[in-house]
Amino acid sequence: MNASSAARRQRFDKLVGVYYADMFRYAAWLCRDRSIAEDVVQEALMRAWRSLESLRDDGAAKHWLLTIVRRENARYFERKRLETVDVDDLTPAQEALIAEEDSDELDTVREAIYELEDDYREPLVLQVLMGYTTSEIAELMGLKQGAVLTRLHRARHKLKDVVEGGENAQTE
Amino acid sequence: MDCKEFRHMVTGDPSTAEGEAHLAQCADCREFVAGVNALDATLERAMQVSVPPLSMPKLPEIDNSNVTQLAPRLSRPVWLATAAALVLAVFLGGRTLLVPTEYASLEDEIIAHMAHEPYALQVSDQAVSESRLKRVVPQTVANLSSETGLITYAQSCNINGHSVPHLVIQGVNGPVTVILMPNETIDGASTLEGNGFKGVLLPVGSGSIAIIGEEDPEALERIEQSLKNSVSWST
Repeated sequence: MNASSAARRQRFDKLVGVYYADMFRYAAWLCRDRSIAEDVVQEALMRAWRSLESLRDDGAAKHWLLTIVRRENARYFERKRLETVDVDDLTPAQEALIAEEDSDELDTVREAIYELEDDYREPLVLQVLMGYTTSEIAELMGLKQGAVLTRLHRARHKLKDVVEGGENAQTE
Repeated sequence: MDCKEFRHMVTGDPSTAEGEAHLAQCADCREFVAGVNALDATLERAMQVSVPPLSMPKLPEIDNSNVTQLAPRLSRPVWLATAAALVLAVFLGGRTLLVPTEYASLEDEIIAHMAHEPYALQVSDQAVSESRLKRVVPQTVANLSSETGLITYAQSCNINGHSVPHLVIQGVNGPVTVILMPNETIDGASTLEGNGFKGVLLPVGSGSIAIIGEEDPEALERIEQSLKNSVSWST
């Protein structure tokens, strides 16, 4: 490996080291399946490696990597749709997402997030977990900012009852 | 803006700075915002699924000789600043200005980072929203209280490969920049100086904190103590 190849690899390893956890968590919440998320991230890493030169500014690496994860997730399900015909065969059989923090209350909330429609779950994950602004979410998802705000409003509205229900149950 | 409009907006974007005037005069909506922030804190904890160890795929060799690194896309102010710097270099005797990509030290990187976000140092009485602060400064890094001061800027920034909180506190003598670095272990305190900035880099347990813009020793001591009390990493 020559010096420029080594520097390229070093740059890639550094970026992946910083953002790998975000890539996995985003993939996991997109597809709701740990093993599929691992496959999607592997594909995303390969694609990122091949197109590293298109990343002009390492400060924008998180957005760049998450965009690649999003596309790879879409490609994964597109391939499965062509192979299996019925994509519903995949989604209900997902194994549970293993949480870092073990708690019954959080399990209930996690299940409620899991049950949200894709259109609501994705912007919520981007905002709450990834720290995206609504304009950044709009750009990534190809939506108008107003549509993002509406989806986030509805997502929180749906989850609020679950969280408050859990709190009430604990105090009873 | 009435309560209904305000609440609709906040449930879409809890970090929004819009509607501050309404919030200042409506206790019910302040309580509502506290509820939304509590909901977000719970959602964030629930979304923290465990991450398997990184298994890097076998990456193919890339022929670098055919690859052209795209130049960074410069925003207009950066382009103008770069042009001005080049003119200055010629004026001063043709010295070449090079933008460092690898910094000689953590201190150099922090000073260089300060120049990237000059708008952060505006004098302001507008605190960042609680939800934004929580997002930028997770509880695993610090629990900031009102004792820390009025925080008017909070952004996650990349320092030495780590995403770290970059805050601006309105101090008694003007805006003070604080960068919390739980992963940067240093041997001892050092001075930060360059590009017109002066500050200190302090070891705090297994991490470190940079404080820039406060030269009054007593005020610095107060900020330092408050931050040391707030950090969550091992001290």
